[in-house]
Amino acid sequence: MTSFRKRTVQKPIRGTRTSPHTAQVITSSGNPYLDVVIGGGLPMGSICLIEEDRFMTHAKVLAKYFLAEGVLSKQEIFLGSLDDIPAEMLRRLPKPLTDLESEVEQREEEQAAAGAGAENGLRIAWRYNDLPLVNSEHATAKIGHHFNLMEQMDSIMLYYANTTMWDDSHKEADIVIAFGDELSKSSSPTSCSLEQQPVENAPPIPGAGEEIIQEVKTKEDQFLLKTSEEQLTYIHQMLRDMEDDPPIPGAGEEIIQEVKTKEEINANNNNNSSTTVASSTKTASQESQVFHNARYGGLLNDIQQLLRDESFVAGTKKNLCRVCLTSLGSPLWYDEHFGEDLIKFLTLLMASVRNCNSVCLITMPMHLIAKYDASLVPKIRQLVDYAIELESFAGSEKETHPAFKEYSGLLHLHKMSALNTLAVHMPDTTDLAFKLRRKKFVIEKFHLPPELQESPKPDSCSTSILSNSNATASLDF
Amino acid sequence: MATSVLLACGLNEQKLPGFVHISEESNVDGSFLISCILGQRLRISNAGTLLVCLQHHYQHYFNAGMRLGYNTNIFQGKTLGVIDVLSDMAGQGLASKWLRHPDGQNLTEQLMEDIRSQVETNYASRNSYTVLIDNLSILFNLGATKLQVQQFCQDLAALSKERDNLTVITKLSNSDIYQLTDNNVAKLGQVRIQVLRLKSGVFREVDGKLLIERVLEEGKFACEETRKEVLYKVNDRNVKVFTPGEIGVKV
Repeated sequence: MTSFRKRTVQKPIRGTRTSPHTAQVITSSGNPYLDVVIGGGLPMGSICLIEEDRFMTHAKVLAKYFLAEGVLSKQEIFLGSLDDIPAEMLRRLPKPLTDLESEVEQREEEQAAAGAGAENGLRIAWRYNDLPLVNSEHATAKIGHHFNLMEQMDSIMLYYANTTMWDDSHKEADIVIAFGDELSKSSSPTSCSLEQQPVENAPPIPGAGEEIIQEVKTKEDQFLLKTSEEQLTYIHQMLRDMEDDPPIPGAGEEIIQEVKTKEEINANNNNNSSTTVASSTKTASQESQVFHNARYGGLLNDIQQLLRDESFVAGTKKNLCRVCLTSLGSPLWYDEHFGEDLIKFLTLLMASVRNCNSVCLITMPMHLIAKYDASLVPKIRQLVDYAIELESFAGSEKETHPAFKEYSGLLHLHKMSALNTLAVHMPDTTDLAFKLRRKKFVIEKFHLPPELQESPKPDSCSTSILSNSNATASLDF
Repeated sequence: MATSVLLACGLNEQKLPGFVHISEESNVDGSFLISCILGQRLRISNAGTLLVCLQHHYQHYFNAGMRLGYNTNIFQGKTLGVIDVLSDMAGQGLASKWLRHPDGQNLTEQLMEDIRSQVETNYASRNSYTVLIDNLSILFNLGATKLQVQQFCQDLAALSKERDNLTVITKLSNSDIYQLTDNNVAKLGQVRIQVLRLKSGVFREVDGKLLIERVLEEGKFACEETRKEVLYKVNDRNVKVFTPGEIGVKV
């Protein structure tokens, strides 16, 4: 017997890669510039907090990038929000660029930069002409995709995306539907609400799939007349299954047959609905015991139910789940025990996300939370792995200030913690600014423009940005 | 790997003080200290260790340990015991015993009971025993009151006094917010390590500052303390310490 063992390389999860720096499995945040800042991507099991800007414009863009990346990488998506309509948000995801398009765009940018340099033509400091151009926008290794914010993602892509949504509006339906562990995940009422819309708008799949979709559509119309959401869910579940096995001509009949069989099972299960309600009532009572605000319990329960799926078990490398919660902790969440519930929810979310193949992106209006209770801010930051604040210039004095005219706002890195490793990645600089261009969201090093005119007094605004708030304090080293 | 930081903290010895408290300021990560201490305890033959995971999963300590040159999996179930509260909560969901309190006990009482049972099972067969609790502030997050956490720490301190060669090491995050609890817990022990951020801002070559306070003479009138301040930098596979003034701005 020899000691030879055939080396089997496990297939990585779609849309992930191993970081050469930390040897961790990372996935793209959707925005290549943000990926560079956080060291290549979000490590598996991490939570990234985006502290919203006052008008919530830019934080939402990052959330859309995060979701769009998940759709394109065929990862499972959970989107929860009280402020936004999740289905609407998903419908407005940015359109992905093809490799060719992104290359062309990159080349155009390089040419534009080179052209601008040549036009300026340095006469005094002419030696600098020989030096390569400093590109403050970081280039990135290929991990995620590039997106065009001007256009929306094709509905067919969204149609095949595995999405679960939560907006606290289908609580009753959830109780009725959750009659089995296997079905409870896919039968979330909100999970089909997204898919109902694209069915109508979705362009037909070229080839044999057309027939199947047509038949399913007809069947779906019948079901809609019956207003049975469960039956709809079955169809969508099957369509998801079809994604793995491409449709073949004639296969549609089998699918319809399967739908009928499941319909019968469903009818039988309806008889046992009393037990379902009882179990759901039990869950609801558990939620109320843990949280004062039942919404946290409902949301956490849905997330945990999804994450318990065997495809997300840590180490299995089957699939990754992207959990996105927008405007968590907004005034819609307020009640007497707001702080207590929010912190508990985040602690339990952290426990769940770290325990399986998942990443989480949360956007929170920290400026409002800080006004509610300032001590909540460090507590929240302690429970996440990355805390990134977006300080938008919109509506502030800085909007018209010449020093900031190139940028839409500043990006503050409040926390980057080492998860499953010892040391944390530190970016080249922490002086970062962002700008929302027509097609993309760019994060770059913050530069003050050259001062070409002599000003009588020093610019207090620009100096205060670069200097530390505790400038008078002596250095620690 | 981590010898220098442990030497600076006075924790690189076979016999440790009975109660050690680590205070972690907001926006500072002091988890590396737990990994360093864990590695040092595991390397001592027949020294038992109990790791109570409240902030990170056991998997985090395994991965961090691999970076520091030790494998916790080899020791698990032998000299290393783990109470992974986070994993349990993730697995059981809202029905977890840490959230439901089925026996009428509160969270801290349940945790204390689990620690006691682990100590009673393993202490007798070990030369020394160390209980590492990675973050007390998570107990606050899960609904424990200040009084309960204080009582929990007093019970732990009593446990360390009951038995020779038993050390309890606790860490509390956001010590600037939970200042009262932090000071009260620190008073229970002989060594207090404060992990502080640099007041002057972010510096590439230094991550933060360690302020080590140690009571010199134990007894009824113990009042003499030593204070030591070192700067630290956590690298990929080691932790370096510097004395203030050693590192400067390179021009």
